Parts: sequence; C-alpha cells; structure tokens
Amino acid sequence: MMPFLVTNQPIIDFFLISLGIAFAQQIVFRAGVFSVATAGIVALGAYGSAILVTRFGLSGLPAVLLAGGIGLLAGLLLSVPLARLRGVYQAIATLAFVEIVINALYYFEPLTGGALGLSGIPKLVTTWHLLLVVGLTCWLLFAIGRSGVGRAFDALRQDETVGASLGVSIRFYHTLAFALAGLVGGVFGGMKSLYTYAISPEQFGFAFVVSILTAVVLGGRATLLGPVLGALLLALLPEIARPLAENRLMVHGLIMIVVMIFLPHGLGDSLMHALTKRRMRRARQAPEVPNGSA
Amino acid sequence: MILQQILNGLTSGAVYALFALGFTLIFGVQKILNLAHAGVFMAGAFISYYAVVNGVPFWASVLLAMVGSGILSVLVDLVAIRPLRKRSHDIEYAAIVTTIGIDLILISIAQRLSETQVLRFPFGTFPVEFYRFAGLRISLLQIVICGLVALTLLGLAWYLYRTSFGRQIQAVTANPNAAQLLGVNPRAVFFQTFFISGALAGLAGVMIGLSFNSIHFLMGEPYMLKAFVVVVIGGLGSLSGAVAASLLLGVVQALSVAYLPSGLPDMLIFAFLFLVLLVQPNGLFGRAGVSTGVGRR
Repeated sequence: MMPFLVTNQPIIDFFLISLGIAFAQQIVFRAGVFSVATAGIVALGAYGSAILVTRFGLSGLPAVLLAGGIGLLAGLLLSVPLARLRGVYQAIATLAFVEIVINALYYFEPLTGGALGLSGIPKLVTTWHLLLVVGLTCWLLFAIGRSGVGRAFDALRQDETVGASLGVSIRFYHTLAFALAGLVGGVFGGMKSLYTYAISPEQFGFAFVVSILTAVVLGGRATLLGPVLGALLLALLPEIARPLAENRLMVHGLIMIVVMIFLPHGLGDSLMHALTKRRMRRARQAPEVPNGSA
Repeated sequence: MILQQILNGLTSGAVYALFALGFTLIFGVQKILNLAHAGVFMAGAFISYYAVVNGVPFWASVLLAMVGSGILSVLVDLVAIRPLRKRSHDIEYAAIVTTIGIDLILISIAQRLSETQVLRFPFGTFPVEFYRFAGLRISLLQIVICGLVALTLLGLAWYLYRTSFGRQIQAVTANPNAAQLLGVNPRAVFFQTFFISGALAGLAGVMIGLSFNSIHFLMGEPYMLKAFVVVVIGGLGSLSGAVAASLLLGVVQALSVAYLPSGLPDMLIFAFLFLVLLVQPNGLFGRAGVSTGVGRR
C-alpha cells in the first residue's frame, strides 16, 4: 500500500483537490441552481490564502480557514442577485462573475501580481491534510444529504413549484446552498494554492469552469458517489493512456456529449439508482412475512 | 480623436452583432444557449484561411466559410441537441453541457490543425488602403466590414419578416406547439435557424481573422463572453436588441480601452452585465424571449 501511495502521490493529490472542488459545484447543482461560479470562488480562496501566507505571514490552518470564510462571504453575496434569476440566466450571470474575478486578478497587480500571478508560496498542504479535509467534506455532505436540508434541496431540484407548495423556502435553501458551496470552494481554493507553489489568473478561466463541470456531469449531481467517480476518472484517464492525455480537451468534450445523451444523470447517480431498484425488486420477490406456519 | 474611437467601435460592434445575432436567434427559437457557437465562429475563420492558402480567391473563401460553418452548425443540432429533445422537453441544462462538449471538440481539432500556432492570412489577401474623410482615418477593410454587415442584416430581416420561411421561424419562436398544429415542421425550422446562425458566425470569424490578422484555436472564447453581454443587455432572444447592444458595446469598449487603464474595461463590462441582470433582466431594449424568473417548468 505505501509504495503505491508514494509513486502515485501527485495523481492522488490532484484527485483529492479536484474532488473537493467538484463537491463544491455539486452542492449548488443539488439544490437546482445552475451556477458555475465555483471557479471564481476557488480563485478567490486560492488568492486569499496565498496573500495571507506570503504577505501577512499567517500559518496554513488560519489561512485556509479564512479562505473558506472569503468563499462563504462571496457565496452569500452572489446569492442575493442570483435569487431572482433562473436557468440560463443563472449560468450567464455566474459566468460573468468568474470573468469579473479573473479580470480583477489581472487588474489589482500590486496585490495579485497581475498576469504573472503569485509565486514562491510555501507548500504547507500535504496529502494527509487533503485527505482529512475531503473526509470532513464528505461527512458534512452526507449529514446534510440525510437531513431535511438534503430533502429540501432534492425537492427544489426536481420541481421548484411543487417544492414551494410543500412549504420549502426557495430563497432560504438557495442561499444556504450558495453559502455551503462558497465555504467548500474557498477552503479547497486555499489548499490548492498552498499546495502548488504558484498561481496565476488564467488557471481559473473558462477551461477551469469546464473541467469542474465535466467532473460533476460525468459523476452525477445528486449522490455523494457522483463527484468521487467523476473526479477519479478524470484524474486517471490521462494516466491510463498517453493519447488520452494529449487530447484531453477532446476527451472532455466527448464525455460531456456521450454522458449527457446516454446517461443523463451521470455514472454515480445511475449506479446508485440501479442498486436501489435492485434492492427493491429483491425485497418484493422475497417471500412475504410468513403467515404462521402452514 | 473621440470620433475616430467611436468609428472604430462601431466597426467592431458590427462584427459583434453578426456573432450575437446567430446566438440570440437560436435562443429565441429553441430556448437553449448554444455554446458551440464560439467553435463554429472559429471554424469559419479556419475554413477561409485554408481556402485562401490553397489558392481560392478571397471572396469565394468567405462564401465557403459561411456555407461550411452553416453546415457545421446544423451538425451541432443533429449531434448535441436533437438526441436530447427526443427524450425530454426540458433540455436547458443538458444542452449547455453538450454544446460545451462540441465546442471543446472543435477547439481540439483546430489546435491539431494549426499545431497551436497563430495563423495569418498571406499578405495581400485584402488590399490595405486608407482614406481620409473629415479628419478621420478609415480603412477599406472597415468600410467593407460595415457594408457587408449592413447587407447581411438587411437580408436577414427580409428573410425573417417577409418570407414564408421566416414567418415559420417566428411562429415556432412564439409557440412551438401551436406552430406544429398549424402544419409547421419544427425540425426544418431548427435546421434553418442553425444554418443561418452558423453562417453568420462564420462570416464574423472571417472578418475578425482579417481585421486583427490572427486566427487561432481559442479565438472564439472572448467573443462568446462578449456575446453574453450583448444578448443580455439587448434582451435574450430579441434580434433588434442584439444589434443595438452590439453597437453600444463596440463603442463603449473602444472608448474605455482608449481612456482607461488596461484590465479595467473588461471588468467594468462584465460588472455592467451583472448589474443589468440584477435590475432589468429582460434587457435594456425591450422584452426578452423568455421570462427570466421561471425559465424552468
């Protein structure tokens, strides 16, 4: 086990970071919000923790926590205008948010280093830290998924009107989803920059938006298993075959089309659905409660 | 100086209009965001470039680019949209994802073809001539671009508002089910709108490739983002709004690039988009094609 971990450590770390970011994206999707703002929030968290560590000499833990706070705040602020919009308008507005963040990173050069970005960030995050935080996020999402909040999210995603008529407050749960996604996105953004030594604005552009989206689409939008499968496959594909690595864009494009047409709920969600169905069929076929002993 | 900037802005606004019209046309008819539009735009520039390099006269290469991008755009409908529509009516989310997929594939093919290089039209493809008029400097290219865009818009307006095909498109835009009951074939209408929008995007690609003399595989992305600004300000699905907003955006951008520090203009433009969505999500120039609040059933 140990040699395997050591030789494949970069892939594992990459997988863990992209998994965390995919979780952040999944939270808003699960609540039925078509927001792609995660890339912008991750960028804010990454720059936030990098600046806190290099300029203000903070250590790793408070920097990452503050990055989470920045993400949470950004999510809360975003939810105010976005509460009035739906569907494609949410997608456009959040894409505009990502562009605003990236252009701001270029513009405020004294603080952000402009196009060159920030370099010389100390590496404070290790695989174990990543594992720990991914574990915590999993637990948080699992707990939320099992609680009334998770059911409210599901109701809003499946049919907003019905959800509202059953007394689910759309505004409250959408704000909650944005805040949670902001927190998780900010934390993983902060860890990303404390892991990679250097960050620059173009890392967080349209290509980043697309790669987050691919992971969640491929995996699934509702179950915990979804982002895990999605991020795992995307991290492994370039390692399995060299041609896949060279044509990464094309592979991502094909995945998005094929999965959306043939498996619209994604690998993880479809798998969980199939398992549930099988369990229910088994239960039906199993003999009823024996009526006495004939 | 200011007048010169306004003139330059109007020229680039005219090209934005070509790009954004096709985008908003598809949204009006199908209620989906076609993010592959950027790839089709880029493909138009590539087709024209390779035609010119292989000895085809420039004007013929423009036609070739328009037809080629039109066909490509129809393929987008066939591959990415139609299979979705078969299964459900609510394809808003799915269509965004599949058209991004097509866009990535087109970008990847173009990257292969050009070997990640910036392509340039051979010197002399288009005569470099400047005219002086009332203290302004106008290039022949600018005049031709404005003329071509005006002609295309007039042609499109005639097609949409004066012919039977155009009325079918309008009928499907207004109410697809009622149009189908009246004997309009929605598939044919979708075909036409995708072809028209692709041809417009291809023409815009050639114009941009020529005026900045650079063609590369990522050239579509900034125009896609600008098109979002244009269609939201003009009202998503509204054609006249898109033209007005494109010209406005072109002028504002030219002026702000000239007088503001670099990096700030794009930030302000996207912040303005955000503001418009916040206070007037139907657009500044009238009504959008769908309600902003209840886009989903």
